[in-house]
Amino acid sequence: MTIHLTKPVKKRLLIFFIILIVGVVTANLILTSLKKNLVYFYSPTDLKLVTNLPSQKIRVGGMVEKGSLIKKDNLYTFKITDLKNFLNINYQGILPNLFVEGQGAVIEGKLLNRSTLQAESILAKHDENYMPKEISESLKQQGQWKKNYGK
Amino acid sequence: MASSFANSLLLASFFFSIFFNIFFFKKKYSLGFVSYILASFILIVSFFVLLFFFYTSNFSILAVYENSHSLKPIFYKIAGTWGNHEGSMLLFISIIAVYGVCFIRITKIEDVFFKSLIIFFQNNLQIIFLLYLILFSNPFDEVIPAPKEGLGLNPILQDPLLLIHPPFLYLGYIGFSLTLSLVLAGLLSHNFNSSWVMIAKKWILIAWTFLTIGISLGSIWAYYELGWGGFWFWDPVENASLMPWLASTALIHCLFVMEKKEQFKSWTALLAILTFSLSLLGTFLVRSGILNSVHAFANDPSRGLFILLIILIITFISIVIFILKTQSNSKKQKLIILSKEGFLLFNNLFLMFFLSIVVVGTVYPIILSALFNKSVSVGPQYYNALIAPFLFIFIILMAIGPLLTWLENNFFNLKKRIIFTVLFTFIITFFIILLVKKTNLFLIIGIFTSLFLLLNTLIDAIKKNYFFNKFYQPRIFSHLGFGLLVLSIFLNSFLSTEMEFEIQPGKKIIKNGVSFEILNTYETKQKNYIELISKFEVIKNNYSFNLTPSVRKYLQPEQLTSETSIKSEFFSDHYIVMNYPKGNLKSFEARYHYNFFIHGIWFSLFLIALGGALSVFYKK
Repeated sequence: MTIHLTKPVKKRLLIFFIILIVGVVTANLILTSLKKNLVYFYSPTDLKLVTNLPSQKIRVGGMVEKGSLIKKDNLYTFKITDLKNFLNINYQGILPNLFVEGQGAVIEGKLLNRSTLQAESILAKHDENYMPKEISESLKQQGQWKKNYGK
Repeated sequence: MASSFANSLLLASFFFSIFFNIFFFKKKYSLGFVSYILASFILIVSFFVLLFFFYTSNFSILAVYENSHSLKPIFYKIAGTWGNHEGSMLLFISIIAVYGVCFIRITKIEDVFFKSLIIFFQNNLQIIFLLYLILFSNPFDEVIPAPKEGLGLNPILQDPLLLIHPPFLYLGYIGFSLTLSLVLAGLLSHNFNSSWVMIAKKWILIAWTFLTIGISLGSIWAYYELGWGGFWFWDPVENASLMPWLASTALIHCLFVMEKKEQFKSWTALLAILTFSLSLLGTFLVRSGILNSVHAFANDPSRGLFILLIILIITFISIVIFILKTQSNSKKQKLIILSKEGFLLFNNLFLMFFLSIVVVGTVYPIILSALFNKSVSVGPQYYNALIAPFLFIFIILMAIGPLLTWLENNFFNLKKRIIFTVLFTFIITFFIILLVKKTNLFLIIGIFTSLFLLLNTLIDAIKKNYFFNKFYQPRIFSHLGFGLLVLSIFLNSFLSTEMEFEIQPGKKIIKNGVSFEILNTYETKQKNYIELISKFEVIKNNYSFNLTPSVRKYLQPEQLTSETSIKSEFFSDHYIVMNYPKGNLKSFEARYHYNFFIHGIWFSLFLIALGGALSVFYKK
């Protein structure tokens, strides 16, 4: 049995398939590009637990450990802690005004090994009470949350 | 006392809004208009009452106590009115009311029922948000006993631009409430046709113009006050304002087709609904505290949830009305691809593509974190790599589209013109590349396509004397603005440089051919902050100038902010931001930006907005 398609039906089918193909291609384009550019967030504890160390750029957040900031020439090193585990950070550049020991910070960069991150940028915060959501969450999970952080 | 007075104003406004609904259903339309105007008037008065409380530092009011301080300059006391969640919500609702009242007073419609129906939707939007305000986010909550001093305003928000950036943005976002009311009323009363466009166009363009100005001011604020060193960062907060802008830009172009040919009707309606929903989504994302940003005032998740619920209800009802009431086109018309309407269709397809990129990039991380508790962020490369190639095609179509005619294919008559402009554009691009001494494929294509748009628009305008034709002026200015914007963005992103350095006072350092020296540093004491100022001498290509970046130490609340110092030349900005020195003023860390063609960006944004403004004032 053969199916005879009338001309308008053929045209509609054609338009439908063109839209379908364009839609799929566009969605695919957007999603692959999105995947390539996603930056995942980890806490120091997350990094202790993962089996495969991420090789792409990541973000790590926590508190800057008090007394850990050392400057040598133009290289900073410090520790980011979620009060359970910590991660060593190497950073070359300017520290933002609001980067203070004992307060929260988010660091973006690549892991050199399981315990050290080469930072590319330190994300500036907007006010002194402000705590990145990621940090407040991991602090809350560990019962280290203080009420005035939220504001 | 103060609090209960203000609260009774809110309640009075609420009841007058309810009266409007009663009058509306009893078909007493003129009484309805009176009560709506009263409701709106009282609401706007209540906003000014709040402003007065901020002005007089009345700390018995919670919003004032939490966001102001008696030592703050008067200017910022006033701006503080909308520098917080409650106050900005009151401004939000007041603007819905302003649009409603202006519509009643300005737009003449014979059909009283139709006009009332429009106001009916506007009024009910007002009721929904007023209820939210009274129940969950009341700016007039009282503090007992009244504190002697306020907590202060986030120093970053203490900038003259804060006085105007949020109101403009709101006038844009919320202006689309009237667009939604117009569409829903038009669909329900079967008035959704080309004469509807005549009524609606102006109001949509007003909101679009305000939104354009609001976004531009935000960009300027990030550049000058936040010291971000650039104009756009694909920050989710910026994206939130870009989403309704893209949708409304598509909407405006669609209106032309609907006005001319009564085509694309359901698409126009859908775009209008989308525009306002995206405006609400933007407000929700920005204000709820979901995104980490200076704009997030409400950190109370229940509030965010309520706003989300309101958005869903409004969008759902709109979509239901749209599905039930949209009529299929009675007269089937063939769509000619190489005609004006064909190219306007392309315009919409591309804008929707850009919109989906921005929506996915902005919303995906939020969904991922809500559903899977995974935190991610999307890098700027995602947007740049996806948008740039399609922007090139978009802009070429944008150059040709306006030259075409309605309803027929005259594309091939333009062959000569197009070949000529392509050749001419090639030559100019070649010279620009020679001048800037940088060869990069993206840069070359960017310059070429944007010049192609500029040149075609200019030739068209000059040939047909459009510069003095009030009907064509808006398009000419906006399109020239857009071409210049793309050109400026490409020049800026490829030819600017940025470097960080550390410097000791009295010691000269040279980095990448630029020399820096701190001549002196001094502290000044202001009313609510201490400012540490450094005088830099910068020498670049034998050209020497001074820059004086500073760091302010605010007292209430205690916080440091860097103030940029900028030396502007015609083509570029030299820009230094300095950090608060750690340890005894011996060593300073600073960032230097050389921003090429940044003024082109500001000027082109002005042109785009000017186009919008001119079309608002256009009279037949």
